[in-house]
Amino acid sequence: MKQKKFSLATVHIVLIVLSLIFVSPLLWMVTTAIKPIEETMTATPTLLPSKFLWDNFPKAVTYGSKELGYIPFLLYARNTLMVTLLCVAGSVCSNAVVAYAFARLRWPGRDAFFAVTLATMMVPFPVLMVPTFGLFKWLGWVGSFRPLWVPAFFGSAFSIFLLRQFFRTIPMELSEAAKIDGCSEVRIFTDVLLPLAKPALAVVALFTFMGTWNDFMGPMIYLSDQETFTLSLGLQAYQSQHGGTQWNLLMAAATVVILPVIVVFFFAQKMFIQGIATSGLKG
Amino acid sequence: MPVNIRTIAISAAALGVLGYLVYRSEDATTRKPVANKVTVLYWEKWTGDEAQKMRRIVNNFNASQDRIFVKMLSISGVADKTLLAASGGNPPDVAGLWDTQMTQFKDAGALTDLAPLAAEFGIKEEDYIPGYWKLMSPGGTLVAFPTTPASTALHINRKFLKPGEEPPKTLEELDAFTERISKVKDGKVELAGFLPAEPGWWNWGWGYWFGDKLIDGDKLTINTPENIRAFEWVQSYSKRFGVRETQNFQSGFGNFSSPQNPFMSEKVASVMQGVWMANFIDLYNKDLPWIAVPFPLPKDRQDLKGMNFIAMDTLVIPTGAKHKREAFEFIAFVQRQDQMELLCSTHGKNSPLVKVSDKFFNTHLNPYIRLFDELARSPNAAYIPQIGIWPQMDSELKNAFTEINLGTKTPKEALDAAQARLEPQWRRYQQQVMGKGITTAEAKP
Amino acid sequence: MKSEARIAYLFAMPWILGFLTFLLYPVLASFFYSFTDFSVLRPPRFIGLENYKEMVQDEVFWMTIRNTFTYVVAAVPLSATVAILLAMLLNTKVKGLAFYRTLFYVPSLVPMVALGILWLWIFNGEHGLLNMSLEKLGMSNPPNWLGDPAWSKVTLVMIAMWGSGNAMVIYLAGLQDIPQSLYEAADLDGARLAAKTRHVTLPMLSPVILFNVIMGMIGALQVFAVPYVMFPNGAPARSTYFFTTYLFDNAFRFQRMGYASAMGWVLFLITLTLTFVALRMSERQVHYDRS
Repeated sequence: MKQKKFSLATVHIVLIVLSLIFVSPLLWMVTTAIKPIEETMTATPTLLPSKFLWDNFPKAVTYGSKELGYIPFLLYARNTLMVTLLCVAGSVCSNAVVAYAFARLRWPGRDAFFAVTLATMMVPFPVLMVPTFGLFKWLGWVGSFRPLWVPAFFGSAFSIFLLRQFFRTIPMELSEAAKIDGCSEVRIFTDVLLPLAKPALAVVALFTFMGTWNDFMGPMIYLSDQETFTLSLGLQAYQSQHGGTQWNLLMAAATVVILPVIVVFFFAQKMFIQGIATSGLKG
Repeated sequence: MPVNIRTIAISAAALGVLGYLVYRSEDATTRKPVANKVTVLYWEKWTGDEAQKMRRIVNNFNASQDRIFVKMLSISGVADKTLLAASGGNPPDVAGLWDTQMTQFKDAGALTDLAPLAAEFGIKEEDYIPGYWKLMSPGGTLVAFPTTPASTALHINRKFLKPGEEPPKTLEELDAFTERISKVKDGKVELAGFLPAEPGWWNWGWGYWFGDKLIDGDKLTINTPENIRAFEWVQSYSKRFGVRETQNFQSGFGNFSSPQNPFMSEKVASVMQGVWMANFIDLYNKDLPWIAVPFPLPKDRQDLKGMNFIAMDTLVIPTGAKHKREAFEFIAFVQRQDQMELLCSTHGKNSPLVKVSDKFFNTHLNPYIRLFDELARSPNAAYIPQIGIWPQMDSELKNAFTEINLGTKTPKEALDAAQARLEPQWRRYQQQVMGKGITTAEAKP
Repeated sequence: MKSEARIAYLFAMPWILGFLTFLLYPVLASFFYSFTDFSVLRPPRFIGLENYKEMVQDEVFWMTIRNTFTYVVAAVPLSATVAILLAMLLNTKVKGLAFYRTLFYVPSLVPMVALGILWLWIFNGEHGLLNMSLEKLGMSNPPNWLGDPAWSKVTLVMIAMWGSGNAMVIYLAGLQDIPQSLYEAADLDGARLAAKTRHVTLPMLSPVILFNVIMGMIGALQVFAVPYVMFPNGAPARSTYFFTTYLFDNAFRFQRMGYASAMGWVLFLITLTLTFVALRMSERQVHYDRS
């Protein structure tokens, strides 16, 4: 017993030290956000500002001027949320279904098509940018949110691969037993596989959420109108070429942008441990 | 199969939410055209503060007439995006790009020849300072108009000049100034009088101060004696302080756009900078006593007097633009003296126009604005070589610069290597993009 | 057609459609571009194998291959190890797990526009947070992380470590899937932690490890955003010029999309080969339920 307590304490210490290291960029971002501009990017860095300028946050989200208009931060947030929710919905609807076909069913061409699926991730994105843009242009989708979310409803190679790996760890006997009980494949999928793969599904949903929320390239390519911008594009507004970048406001805005994501993660991570409740079933 | 009412209800609700989201996302991206007006789409590279100041000019234009509405969008990554949009046949009507891209874009046939429209609107070559006109018309084709231009000078922190001391007039005097005031303690550099690698934006261009221009006609002149001499001069600085020491010293510099900018934090006493530097000093270290003087030339190259780098931000009309006439009407409006001066003074730049009002000079934020104006007008003012492979050249020269400063190559080796790498690329470019055959002089056996 | 196959096609249908609609054309088009001179702004012109021939002689191309391989060899196994260790630590029953998990994941969330500058700041050779800490720990002459070609790649590998949060989450989900009964059986045999890890955790986790290693490899071979933002031009002395950064420069800065596409397809072949090798090598190590 005593030994166990000791090891728990060790785990705690290790965790605290590691998390300090991991959190350092974020910490710096937040403290920079509340610094006066003269104290940002100091050559001899100070962690804490000489005075805490909390009103950098409201300043950042209303950046701009009366004459020429303010950053429509709320509008950006709404756009981002819309695209993100659509992508998560699409990802949840499509990936598990497809992964099930790859992991648990036998069909001609399965392995070859799976190889092709993996291969699509190996062509570097920059060389696909021009034809992909041409495709969406041809579809008349450039300038709308469609290029950003419609593909999510057709699955992504990454998520399909991930879920396939998880589905394959679930014992086949479970499916076979269900089949003997007269369950259809659809039933086996919804009632046997999905509940067991909840942690993996949560991971896929989470990654889609994070990826879409922070995506810069997609919105950069397909959106041009200020009113359709997402938050990650909006963050560019704090940088300037020859006028001096407002580092504190940039960091404040970035903090505001990722705050919801951190909260989502904090609550979503519980889903990864839901597997514990069901683990009795396995083995 | 038993019908589960709860499942149905949840699915229906989910579908409803989804439908609503799709509807809203479609709605958010639908634009209604401005009634009875031609909408000119204007993509600008500036974001933030600078974009806001440009927006003022756009608003002025929109208020000045009732036929055209300019919709200005500030776009990050504007060059790549314009490239993609043009490839999809859907470019904006006006794009705010950089002068460094003009030749490449022009060679690719991406820019509209603006000469006919300029003639129609009565805009003439004589209206512009000659150097800027050259930047507007690479290879003799007028493809761009300026938004804000710039010229460059040596900025010196006056604290490091003795009372009554004249600022360095020759490169040798600048070297001596560096020798005198630089401070090295326990192998650590604490202060440098001057450092060619700071701010690093003209690392490709030191040869210009010694009489090399990187290209001569359509020949590349990278490993010329003049350029080698320039790189030797550059190397003398990292040798003076020591390679490792210089590196450490430089890595202690704060971000350019910060109070820890080495000039602002008094780690380098003098630096080559553009007219915009006053903006930064004003923002980060108001009390810094500084002066700006023409950047010194080597004693034996005083014939290059007035040499400095000029540059500008440009407005272009991409080839596939739908409303070229209306787009040009907007560009012409920006070129009006009053609007141009409003834009350039808010951006802290000089004006590209020959005619400048006294008010512009007298109210300008930069106390040395007249000097920058003079430098821009100098016949020896220089700019990046107008060559379509400039991005490759830039990349090779920057690399050569790093290598000689690290001491891994001698200036001659580094420049020979750059020349050797660029020559085949230039030949290929001439063949593939400019449609020229290999000239016999350049053909290799 | 067998009914299982028919249902399977139905299940796979979204992805088959998505593949045909959104991926097939761009992939084929880029393959075609690789045999052309294509400046994006003008129509491509067929030039046969010229781009590929040029690549063989392009010393910067070879340099980026060497840089990329060095990076992959260092970053992939290290990140995998860190992520597994973190996941195992966070799979214990200590208090405040939700908190720790969030903290470890956080660096993956910071937007690139802020992150780039934060890294430059942390790794600054003279006054960076890292070197200040090292000096406090008694190191007299800490490395110049950003300016010294010998260290710049190490910096990027370390940064990759900070991004272990994503993989950690996947491992965490994988750990949840390991039946508790296996550990109980091992306990009965009196196995120690190391033995349990070797004989239960790692084999049971192997499909997920395979996934992460393959994805990590594909990702590392295409490493782009962080070096592109932190080290323009692959500075210092091209020590951080990677395959995809050079490819991107060719595609957009130099407007040589044809050459970039050819590079893309070479990278594709390299990645494909390595993935194939990884899958082959893992065949006996990865434990799927094959019953």
